[in-house]
Amino acid sequence: MAQPLASTLVESQALYLDPEIRDWVLIPIMVVMVLVGVFRDQVTVLIGGGTGKKPGLKAIRESKALTRGVTLRNYGNHIQNNSFFVRKTFLSEAYKRGDYLKNPAAANHAVNPMTDPAGMEMMMEGMKKNFAMIIPQTIIMGWINFFFSGFVLIKLPFPLTLRFKSMLQRGVETPDMDVTWVSSLSWYFLNLFGLRSIFTLLLGEDNAADGMRDMAAMSQMGASPTGQPQDFHKLFLAESENLELTPHNWELDDIENRLLIKFGKRSPTVNNDDNDTIEMEDISSDFSDVKGKSKRKGINKKK
Amino acid sequence: MVSFDYKLAVTTLHELRKSGERKSDLVVSLGENLIQQGYTGKLGDEVWAVYEQIFIAALDLGNVLLADKCLDNLDKRFPESPRVKILKGMKLEAEDNLDAALAMYENILQDDDANVAAIKRRIAVYKAKGQDQQAIEALTRYLDAFYSDAESWLELSALYLSFHLYQQAGFCLEELILLQPQNHFYHLKYAEILYTSDNITVALKEFCRVVELCEDNVRALCGIKLCTSRLLNLPINAITSSSASTNSSFSLDMKTISDLNDLAIERLSIIYSKNQRGGNRANEIKNVISDWLKQS
Repeated sequence: MAQPLASTLVESQALYLDPEIRDWVLIPIMVVMVLVGVFRDQVTVLIGGGTGKKPGLKAIRESKALTRGVTLRNYGNHIQNNSFFVRKTFLSEAYKRGDYLKNPAAANHAVNPMTDPAGMEMMMEGMKKNFAMIIPQTIIMGWINFFFSGFVLIKLPFPLTLRFKSMLQRGVETPDMDVTWVSSLSWYFLNLFGLRSIFTLLLGEDNAADGMRDMAAMSQMGASPTGQPQDFHKLFLAESENLELTPHNWELDDIENRLLIKFGKRSPTVNNDDNDTIEMEDISSDFSDVKGKSKRKGINKKK
Repeated sequence: MVSFDYKLAVTTLHELRKSGERKSDLVVSLGENLIQQGYTGKLGDEVWAVYEQIFIAALDLGNVLLADKCLDNLDKRFPESPRVKILKGMKLEAEDNLDAALAMYENILQDDDANVAAIKRRIAVYKAKGQDQQAIEALTRYLDAFYSDAESWLELSALYLSFHLYQQAGFCLEELILLQPQNHFYHLKYAEILYTSDNITVALKEFCRVVELCEDNVRALCGIKLCTSRLLNLPINAITSSSASTNSSFSLDMKTISDLNDLAIERLSIIYSKNQRGGNRANEIKNVISDWLKQS
């Protein structure tokens, strides 16, 4: 029973779209979106692209200092024990004291972007960019809503689940229509998110036309108004803690054995078994003269 | 004369710029052709980068005329650019007018204290003037901010080595190993510094690491050989006492050392017996090596 019902449903939804819709709605929306993207890129260059103030040496130092701790944590095993511990203590102390901060005196109170001139400038910058991005998008959306609300523009050539209905048929409140039909407002959103590669093609890699970016900017606005600078002191404290928790196993502790095994001078399994039996049976130390000192050390620890 | 391939020249220059190779003679010959045959107009915005590249290469070769031509063009187009100012400074350096160049760089740094090129050029001027201590100081300050610049760490270690400050040079190499742990060259250099500063056990480990990362690395195998023969020739109590005093886990048992010694000898003799090219010279080298290997 289900089969014929489904087929009738599909048949009944074989809408015939006026080709005029394609010529006067579908393509114009896309063209307008592309043009607005290009226009926006130009505007961003005009109002703020060229005069972006570069961060000073101290600011760069502050932002790069964290990577030093991260590198040490990730690759610390490649250097000797004492070299590692010297670095670890130095870095974690320096992080705690706030040596790497742009302004060490301000370590203890939260940074207020209003008092910091650089922060002020950054806010201004963000505002300008946001305006250049949001205003045209709002206008286009209003335009589509006003003229083409309720238009069905295309039918996707593949089936989709019901979940996509809210995404593809925004502005068309028909519960029974097949999901593959796309409404005008949804076509706008598809363009907004999907034109990135076309912009890259038209304007090069580093363009400001992309619609995804103002989405990201908008979601950021909720969290912190116009990109509040990060509180590096907190980050440093966290990194210092991470560093202190990092253990150290020197990669080269066992290198001679590894090398000898690699060239087939020593068989790996026998050696390991040897090691284990010694530690388990705890053979007296005069036997271990023949064996490695490292093994002796292990035994001593056990005692 | 072979007809000049414009497209090939442009792509070659582009690739050289990207890879940072300093084939100045090639760049100058290509660049001269580009400029003389009037191709520069075709390049669009790329032309400025090409001018810069040709300028630096021309300075390398002492081709002042070509360099001037490039610099004039750049100066006309970007009169206030710090990047062009740096090029002017480099020209002053090439003319051995180091103080003027230094003033030029200082001037740039006053406006923008994070101008990497200017910082680096200033260090180069210090070096050229023979003020190595100032160069070291400037480099450490630079590395404090731009921590991840591997080439600068290498430069700093070279400067320290010129003062025989092995511990400091070793520190730089450790940083390099942290930055690029898989680069066997850094391990090798580190091992050699350790060996020179008489830290034989750790040096041996580092040499082993090099061989692990880069099989049949002759320099590292020779290093292993040197370390093991030193360790094998030491009196027994010297080893135990030294490792006890440093209280480290670097201690090695004699069997491992002699095994490593044998391994190094074996690999080295294989490598040198394989290398048949060079006729007499190769044989000579082979004899020298086998004599050396037999010695200990």
